[in-house]
Order: sequence, then C-alpha cells, then structure tokens
Amino acid sequence: MQIHPEQIARMLIKEAFDSRRIVVGVFIFVSVAVLVMGLLWPKYYAASTNILAEDKNIIQPLMQGAAVATDVSDPIKNARELIYGRRIMDRILEYGGWLEKNPSPADQESLVDGIKKRTAVSLVGKNLIKIEYRDTDPERAFNVTRKFAELFIQEGVASRAAETRAAYDFIDKQVREYEAKLAQSEQEMRQTRGSNLDARPVSEVELSARLAALNGRIESTTMELREAEIKRASLERQVSGEADVTAGITREGEIRARIGELQTKLDTLRLSYLDTHPDVIQLKLQIQDLTKALEAERRRPSKERGSSGEMSQSAMNSPIYQQLRRELSQTQVTVDALKARIAESQRLLREEAQRGKSVRSGDARLADLARDNQINREIYQDLLRRRERARVSMSLDNDRQGLAYTIQDPPTLPQAPKGPRFWHFVLGGLVLGILVPFGLLYARMHIDPRIRVGDTITKVHNVPVLATIPHLWTPDEIKQLSAELPVLKLALVATVAVCAIVSVLRLAQVL
Amino acid sequence: MSKIEKALNRARGERRSRGSAEPPAEDREPLPGTALIPEPRGELVRLEDISRMNQNELPLLDAEDLSRRGIIHPELVEDPAVQAFRDLRTKIILQGQGVNGVILVSAISKGSGSSFVAQNLAAAFAFDPGNTALVVDCNFRNPSLHRLLDDPSAPGLTDYLQDPDIDLSTIIRPVGIARYRVITAGKRREIPAEYFTSYTMRRLIESVRWRYQERFIILDGPSMADLADIRVLSELSDYVVLVGRYGRVTGAQIEKCSKEIGGNKLLGVVFNDEPRIPRVDWRDLWLRRWRIRPAGTSG
Repeated sequence: MQIHPEQIARMLIKEAFDSRRIVVGVFIFVSVAVLVMGLLWPKYYAASTNILAEDKNIIQPLMQGAAVATDVSDPIKNARELIYGRRIMDRILEYGGWLEKNPSPADQESLVDGIKKRTAVSLVGKNLIKIEYRDTDPERAFNVTRKFAELFIQEGVASRAAETRAAYDFIDKQVREYEAKLAQSEQEMRQTRGSNLDARPVSEVELSARLAALNGRIESTTMELREAEIKRASLERQVSGEADVTAGITREGEIRARIGELQTKLDTLRLSYLDTHPDVIQLKLQIQDLTKALEAERRRPSKERGSSGEMSQSAMNSPIYQQLRRELSQTQVTVDALKARIAESQRLLREEAQRGKSVRSGDARLADLARDNQINREIYQDLLRRRERARVSMSLDNDRQGLAYTIQDPPTLPQAPKGPRFWHFVLGGLVLGILVPFGLLYARMHIDPRIRVGDTITKVHNVPVLATIPHLWTPDEIKQLSAELPVLKLALVATVAVCAIVSVLRLAQVL
Repeated sequence: MSKIEKALNRARGERRSRGSAEPPAEDREPLPGTALIPEPRGELVRLEDISRMNQNELPLLDAEDLSRRGIIHPELVEDPAVQAFRDLRTKIILQGQGVNGVILVSAISKGSGSSFVAQNLAAAFAFDPGNTALVVDCNFRNPSLHRLLDDPSAPGLTDYLQDPDIDLSTIIRPVGIARYRVITAGKRREIPAEYFTSYTMRRLIESVRWRYQERFIILDGPSMADLADIRVLSELSDYVVLVGRYGRVTGAQIEKCSKEIGGNKLLGVVFNDEPRIPRVDWRDLWLRRWRIRPAGTSG
C-alpha cells in the first residue's frame, strides 16, 4: 500500500517519541563514537608534486621517422611501475629514516606496504603525473615526496636509456646474423656458378628460339636436299637416255651427213663431169652404200642401237650430253653439301638441347640462391636502417633529448593536515546521531511485517477497521514523561555540549 | 438452546416490541438457581431502573482517578482516544440498529490491550445516560477487571460458574462509574474452557442481558490464541470485536482471526494504541508539580 511521505514522516516522529530513550541513546552513542573517532583519527600531512612527462620537444619533429621516441601513451602505468618498484622503495625506506631501527625483512615489507598505501600516483593532465605522499610528519611527507620525484626522474631516464640500449643491441645482433647469412649465400652462389661455367643464366625463351632456328634450318636444308636429289635423279635419267638417243641419232645422222656430203660432191661433179665419170660413179656407189647402211641402221631395233657397244665417240662428244653431265656433277656436289649441313645442324641441335638441360638444373639452384640472397639482402638493408634509427634514438635518450621528465610543481611543506578535519567529525557525528536512529526506525517500518497503518487492514486484508485508538496517556504516564523528558533533554544538551567543548579544546590544541 | 428457551426468547421479543405498555415487573433480580429467565421489562421502565441503579452506585470516581485507571471519562473530550472510543461506540450501536447486544472483545495477539478496549468501550456506552454497560471478565488466564475494584478478591464469574446458587447481584459490581458494572473473573482461575459451554454460563449471559434493556454487555475475552474459549464465547455473543495493537500484529494474523470468527459476527478490528505525542501543558504541569509536591500530595 502506498503511504504518503508526510504520513511516513509523522509516523517516524511518533515512533521516535514512542522509543525516545533508544533514540536518544543511539544519538548519544553515535555522536560520541564519531567524536572519539575524530579524536583518534591520525593527522595526515600530504605533499604532492607534479611531473610533466614531456614528449613534445624540438628534437622529435626533426627526428621524425629516423628515431623513435620512448612511448608515453601510458605514462601513468610506467610511473606506477617505477615508483612502486622495489628499487625506489628501498631508497625511500633508507631516505625516510625507516631503516634506522634495523627492521627485519618482514617489517620492511610491511613498511613498504604502508608507504605504498600512502602514496598515490595519478594522472592529472594529459602528461602530468602527480605523486602524492601522506605522512603523519609534515616534514617527512615533504622530503619523501621530493625524493620520490627525484628518484622517479632518475630511474625513468635510466630505464628508458636501458630500454633503447637493449633495442639497439637486439637490432645490432640481428644485423650481424643477416650479414653472415648474406655472405654465406653469396659464397654458395659463386661456387655454383663456378661449377658449371656455361651455365650462364640463359633465359628459356632465348634457348627455345635458338632451338627453333636450328630446327628450321634443318628443315629447310632437308627440303633443299630433297630438291637436289630429285634434280640429280632426273639428270641421271636424262644423261643415260640422251646417250641412247644420241648414239642412234649420231649413226643415222653420220650416214645422212655423209650421204648429204657425197650428194653435194656428186652434184658439184655432175656440173663438170658426166655421169660416167669415175668420180661420179664412185660417188654414186658410195651414196648407194651409205643409203644401204642407213636403211640397215633404220631397220636395226633401237635397243640394239644403244647397247650395241660403247658409246660412240660422237655421242660422248654431244654438247647436250656434256652439259647434262656437268649439271649432274654439280647437283651431286650440292646434295653432298646439303647433307653435310643437315648433319651439322643436327649436331648443333643436340648440343643446344644438351646445354639447355644442364643450364636448367644449374639455373634452378642458382635461382634459389639468388632469391634467398635477394630476400636476405632486403631484410639486411631494412635492419641496417633500423639499427641506425635505434642508434639515433639511443643517443637521443642518452642526451636526454627524447622524452623528458620535468618537475612542474615541486612539493611544498604541508601546513595543514589532510583528510577529514575534526569539525567534520563533530558535525558528522551529530548529524549521524540524528540520522541513524531515524534510519533504523524507517528500516524497521519497512521490514517489519507488523501493521502500523490502520488503513492497511481494510485495504490489504479486507477486514474493516472499527477504530484506531491512539494511546491514552494516563496521569501517571504523563508524570513519568514529565520526569523523563528533562533527563533526555539534558542528555542531548550534554552531548552537544561535550562535542562543543571537545571542539574548542581541539581548536586550542589542548587535545 | 432448549426449546423452552427458544419459546421464551420469542415471547420476550414480542413483548419488547410491544414496548411501554408493559407494566414493570416486581423483581429485577433473577432468583438464583432458577432455570427461568426473569421477565423482561418495557422501555419506559428502564429509565426508572437506571435511576434505581444509580442509587446502588458507589461514590463516583473523579476524573483524575479514572484517568489513572486508564478509563476514559466525558471530561476528556479533547483527548483523541476518547473521541475514538465514542466513534467506536456509535458504530457498534449503528451496527446493532439500536438493539443492545453482547459484544466479545478479543485480542488478536497477547498484549493487544483488549481489556483496555473492553473497559473503555463500556465506559463510552455508559457516557450515555440512557445506556448501561456491563463488562464481564472472561479472560481467566490474565484477568484485569478486578483492578477496578477496591476489593479484588470479591467473588466473580468463576465463583458463579462453580456455584450457580450465588446471588447474581453479588457478582455484578459497581466500580464508581455511573451506569457501569463489572463481573470480575473471580478467585478460581483454573476454570477449564468447558465452563463456558455450560448452561450456567448461557443462563448468566441471558439473565444479565435482560436485566436492563439498554445494557451493553461486553465480554472481555481471552486472546485469539485460546481458540476453544473464543469459539464458545463468540457463540454466546452477538458481535465480536478484534483488537490488534499498533506494530504488534501482522496482516496474516488478522486474516486468520477474521476467518476463525466468520464474517457474520465479526464487526471489525480495533487498531489499538497508536503512538501519540501527548498534548500537555508542560508549564502548568511543572508549576503544579513544584507547588503541590511540598504540600505532600503526590499527584
């Protein structure tokens, strides 16, 4: 059931009045307890210093790309690691005078824990690191804070230098390794090249072009050879055929020529002589004989004519025959030359193919080596570049030109203690003293299932409420109350007075 | 209820409706031990009865005494508790439509202050000069009414139940409040619950109910923890009023008790003892205190 806030307040006041002794008791207890807590609360003095982690100095843009400035993307983490680290803590222990009593290692550990708890490292601005240290002694707070800043800067620079140095060393080592690798691969390449001298790196295309050219030459030469051979065969045929013809033709022709000659002579003689002239008769006889011989020649089969005996001198002496013979011999020469050329070309081709094969195997090995060499060379060059950059970074850090820590705000000697002041406790105690009992009553109202509002019975449990009867104060109760209330009032006033007196005493620094 | 009783009740009802015409009966007190219930009287007679009753009154207690006993009185008009009781009384009268009845007041849990409510409800009834009230202490385990008497050891209900021959008038006792009578629990406390079921108890209730017409009988019953007694007593009574104390009873308890009683007889819950900051004229109180103390009177 929804209860109006005003109703709640009224109920709270009534309940508080009902259990007034407890309320007053709780008030006194709480305020006195808080007061005592305030008295016992240790006074802490805090000193703080701001350290600027500069990463934007003149050198950085100049060295952009050439050097890598130490990263300050997470300066607070670095700072915490450094400050809470054992190295700085040990020196702080020594410096703060905690070691004067020669504490055992366990005690030292707890001392260090205490210092860590009282030390706060936080990031104020973008790169502003704040170191705050609290201590019961203001002077020690100041000194320790100053020392913290000093050590932090010192250690920070040293650690960064060490870091860049380590980076340089590493890169340097890598460079050396690659150098050795490169030298080795080059040596190997030289050896491989020496073992097959002709194995110059020949490109596949070149080789195949050459092979194709040789093949082409062989083919064309073969063609030429064939032609020459055909020509030779034809000439041979012609030469033999011509002999036959010439032989036949030559006998008949000879005869005919003689006949013609004789006829001419006869005709000439006839002009001057009669037919009865012996010369003419002689001639006539001769012509008759020749005609008979011609006819015999004609009758004789042509076969017989050719093989009838050795080529006649006349055939031999035939100009055509002579020419054919000449050509035949020429063709023969050509055929021989072509054959020789083909053989040569084939040898060349074989050689070339052989060489191609050997080149290919040697070439693969060499190519491997060359590739390795290439990659190694690239990495090596990159590493060299990096090493140079590392060297510059190292010198940057060595010269404190890179990331620099500067004390922005030096610590000051704390004048007033930090943390809640005494009057906070006094006031807080009084306020708490009021809030706590009312809070408890409120909590009880909410948690307790027992009914405190009559309407609930009607509305929630559906049982009519006939009447809500307020407490009837009897005269005795009133009398008791009138005796009790002043006591309670006195207790309240006394509590407040005690708080006030203690505060005054505290102000006067008696307490 | 016997047949005779039923018949008698009916006759009584008729007579009551006839009202004033009836002549007054000669004797008001029932004969002890008689099974018959005395003749009821007409309304006109009642005022006379009351005036006669007034003659029996003890010297009336003053406001201070009443206040000390935790009983309201008309002078405390300003007190919200008095107003609450008056309001409660009016509601009950309206509920009963003017007919007087037997009202059982029972605490939902022990310590709810049911006796306080019962006594003050009776006092509120008695405010009215036309009404009388009788409180019967039925809470044998934790009786409280005897505190109102000067002689707490006077015979009461248990004595009567034990020995019905006792004159009823000896246990109905005035306490010094006008028109206000009580029957205390009596000396014998170890009365088992069965006594309530006895005929004697029923006869007692009936006889006191008709003793005066405008009399409201309030049974100051035990808490609802004694279910057996409550069942019997609620059987005897017309209405039941439950008392739950502020910050003491849970809703579950209330629901359970209302289920036990049943819807017909249950009038409702009285939410008792809500805390209140008293409105006191402290200055006056202090002055009185300092002035009166040296004189020797305490209060």
